[in-house]
Amino acid sequence: MVYDEEQRPRRVVITGLGAVTSIGLGAPAFLDGLKSGRSEVKPITAFDTTGFAHANACEVTDFVPTEWIHHVDPQELGRATQFSVAAANMAVADAGLSARDLRERRVLVSIGTTDAESRDLDTLTGIQLEEGPERLSPGLARRAQAGRLSSGIVRELGLVDVEALTIPTACAAGNYAIGSGFDAIRHGEVETALCGGADAVCRKTFTGFYRLGTIAPEVCQPFDIDRKGILTGEGAGVLLLESLDSALARGARIYAEVLGYGLNCDAHHPVSPDRNSLARCMEIAHRNAGVAQEDIDFISAHGTGTRANDVTEAGAIRQVFDAPPPTVSIKSMLGHSMGAASALAAAACALAITENFIPPTLNHRETDPECALDCVPNEARPAVLNVVQNNALAFAGNNAVVILGRVDRVSGPERAEPVKEAA
Amino acid sequence: MSSLVISAWSAISPYGVGNAPLRKGLAEGRDAVAALDRDIYEVPFQQAALVPDFTAAQYLGKKGTRTMDRVTALAVTAVGGVVEAVAEELAARPEQTALVLGTGSGSVQSIMDFTKDSLTGERPYHVEPARFPNTVMNRAAGQSAIWHRIKGPNTTVAGGSLTGLLALNHALRLHRGGHCTRVFCGAAEEFTTQRAWLEWHGRADEERGTPLGEGAAVFLVEPAEDAAAAGRTALARVGAVRFRGYQGTDGPREALSVCVRNALDTAGVAPEDIRSVAPLGGGGKLAAEEEQAVTDALPGAHPEWIRLREHVGDTSAAATALQLAAVLATAGERGLGPGEAALVTGVERDGQVGCAVLVGG
Repeated sequence: MVYDEEQRPRRVVITGLGAVTSIGLGAPAFLDGLKSGRSEVKPITAFDTTGFAHANACEVTDFVPTEWIHHVDPQELGRATQFSVAAANMAVADAGLSARDLRERRVLVSIGTTDAESRDLDTLTGIQLEEGPERLSPGLARRAQAGRLSSGIVRELGLVDVEALTIPTACAAGNYAIGSGFDAIRHGEVETALCGGADAVCRKTFTGFYRLGTIAPEVCQPFDIDRKGILTGEGAGVLLLESLDSALARGARIYAEVLGYGLNCDAHHPVSPDRNSLARCMEIAHRNAGVAQEDIDFISAHGTGTRANDVTEAGAIRQVFDAPPPTVSIKSMLGHSMGAASALAAAACALAITENFIPPTLNHRETDPECALDCVPNEARPAVLNVVQNNALAFAGNNAVVILGRVDRVSGPERAEPVKEAA
Repeated sequence: MSSLVISAWSAISPYGVGNAPLRKGLAEGRDAVAALDRDIYEVPFQQAALVPDFTAAQYLGKKGTRTMDRVTALAVTAVGGVVEAVAEELAARPEQTALVLGTGSGSVQSIMDFTKDSLTGERPYHVEPARFPNTVMNRAAGQSAIWHRIKGPNTTVAGGSLTGLLALNHALRLHRGGHCTRVFCGAAEEFTTQRAWLEWHGRADEERGTPLGEGAAVFLVEPAEDAAAAGRTALARVGAVRFRGYQGTDGPREALSVCVRNALDTAGVAPEDIRSVAPLGGGGKLAAEEEQAVTDALPGAHPEWIRLREHVGDTSAAATALQLAAVLATAGERGLGPGEAALVTGVERDGQVGCAVLVGG
């Protein structure tokens, strides 16, 4: 591949947000939920929970596919793809663009996920047990594919000069997808990126976390001394990214700038995170974004609410930061929406920058001294924010940290290229 | 100006584990499809192209492989093949190497077995916790990183039969973004009873005759100067990777020919320099459209066609990665020669096309 080194790296901004969440559909409703600290924990309806001692989740209950999906038959899409397509439509409209506009641009669609259409695979498993594998539904078999999460968006919008990339890097996948969109625009590979994440509540994943003893009986309480685990959630977050020049040229509203991101892999344990490796990932993100630890105004933590995650993550934060900034977990509101989680958290960070507030950590009574962070308990806090950090961790030690900034914070020359690890 | 090259590769195919069996199988034009043992595989297919005698225990040892599923074992083994090429550099600076690995939907066998245990056990949570990570789709990439201690970016990608091309393009993007010094990228697919049933039901009637295959291919992608400094032969420069969408049944031919022309432009390659073409060749009518599109885009070219699928079946998520490997296998030990270029294409029935141009010299 020949790089055009004559071309200056572009600044990358977020100009559209799409959100399918348990606390609201669309960016305005999502914003309202974040500001007022809303949570919708209910007994699971996605599958029969008989035999589980407790089975609460944060499901999206008021989503009517035909209200949000206009061209593709929703029956051809699994629930996670319905979410991703709906969120993409929302993001395009929110950016003041149309599908027609995007058909004339070179586009990357990049959607992260943990389970893709495992909800359909659950259904197929049930059919197979009841009626035998000969009776599996062709429609379900066709739509139960991870690639659909991004290709569904391409079909819905009728995109032409487009790459459809699905990134199933589990619970950090949303940040991975945003990173891919950032790189693609920064280096002039595409003009627009629709990137984020999507997942749907399913038996398989609930059961796995339940068996590991990490499902909270009632509510999700990140960083609290009495925290009891995660609540599974679902939804989709899609961000529309374009270059700053493109946004300014069309007079678009700019939520925030993507300053950079960092990725690394613990290469250590299938499910347990590694503090030192996570700390390194934050440092890589800071360096790539051209910011220092003291510049970060708040951290949107991975903050799942399990004993292990929160202690490890807080430890990594204290390792990197001289004085840790406010550190919140919106999983206290949304539950753990898996592959959508870090995309929705990034959307929350962008809204926080635009609307001058830090979202709260709900259900908080007493901070665990082992975490010892200001988690903005229970009520949103007014704040003028310049630079914010969005953490994401995944099984297999896949870490991803995205840094967003207020766009008018930086003036003057383009920031430097991200530097590689010293050779 | 910098350029990225493929300087090592590793393939596991229905011809066997390693690059040599693929070279030999292709040179002989041998058919790797065989009758399935119906006592083991209760599936609607009579035939399949399995990697012969492949098990995790055999290639990776018994330690740490008790709960490893087949796609993960294929991935870990294939990644091992390129790790050998950079073992010292990887050990010295594990955070500088990225891994981009493509899969279909992870292992549908692992996912559906786990749900089955929940539905049939005495309690719905009577599942084996050690098998839970197998049901998460980044398992193969993550376990490859753990096994080989690869600490750079670790990304799983999916996109049907275009997965291998998406992985390659994502590797270029990660490198260009300054996130790593080198990338291992590729894709893996397993043959399992569950995948066979889902593929059978998902296919149109006229496609059901194509047997399923499996395998994995992984490539070392690095700057030409790094390869030269380390004494590794640049087997091919990655000239361009491009994608495009199409609508309806008439679209793929037009979309792919534009896609190929764009890729040739980006790579700075003339159509007549394309010496070999490895098409996906999948999906009945789509296969004919794909070949027509390539012919449309390559006036004056007389390429050798490498039709891998005819010999190793439908390898789904691994298909385009194995096509890239087939191009390198056919090119020989020194890779593509000066002035030579090769084209790999794919048409995904879901509405996308993609291609990669590899350039010699």
